[in-house]
Amino acid sequence: MSYYESVFIARPDITAAQVESLTETFKGIVSENGGTATKDEYWGLKSLAYKIKKNRKGHYTMINLEAPPAAISELERNMRLNEDILRFMTIKVDALEEEPSVMMRNKGSRDDRGRRDDRGRRDDRAPRQEASPQEEKPSEGGDE
Amino acid sequence: MRSRRPFFRRQKSCPFSGPNAPKIDYKDVKLLQRFVSERGKIVPRRITAVSSKKQRELARAIKRARNLALMPFVLD
Repeated sequence: MSYYESVFIARPDITAAQVESLTETFKGIVSENGGTATKDEYWGLKSLAYKIKKNRKGHYTMINLEAPPAAISELERNMRLNEDILRFMTIKVDALEEEPSVMMRNKGSRDDRGRRDDRGRRDDRAPRQEASPQEEKPSEGGDE
Repeated sequence: MRSRRPFFRRQKSCPFSGPNAPKIDYKDVKLLQRFVSERGKIVPRRITAVSSKKQRELARAIKRARNLALMPFVLD
């Protein structure tokens, strides 16, 4: 049996409880076919980077699985049939994460600090072919 | 330092090698965002100094994140 990570996006107009029952259904399908679901994570109602079936938001859920390939194809078949599922992706992984994933760890602290100074750096980096000396001076003034 | 050659190139090292390098994961959108341009395109590794093996892994992670609408295909 191999390890898999399955993420699905559910329609935004269903409730979190309904998403929970969807998760349970899918876990049931996997266990019926000889697999086990080791962990499930509800990432919450997140806004999508682009519209999917005219929706701007979606409920994200990830399930970690240890299952035979037959169970995965059965799971994917059911996800494809379910109208509440906007999108899903199942990938094979070498090892399953035991602790909460990055998604859960970052949910509490939603600071843009890290991203903003990255963007600033990217701005001056992307267009330039070679560093101009004036640009370098302020950053390396300390080591004179 | 002042009288440096105009085309001096600092030795860059791969941000994903070393002891406490971050793990490339399609779920870590914050990390992946640093390797895409303003338009949402994957930045070439000659600019970001990512090793070729890690660049392949990174590109795969970004494409997975795009598929799940965690990251945009185009930004404008």
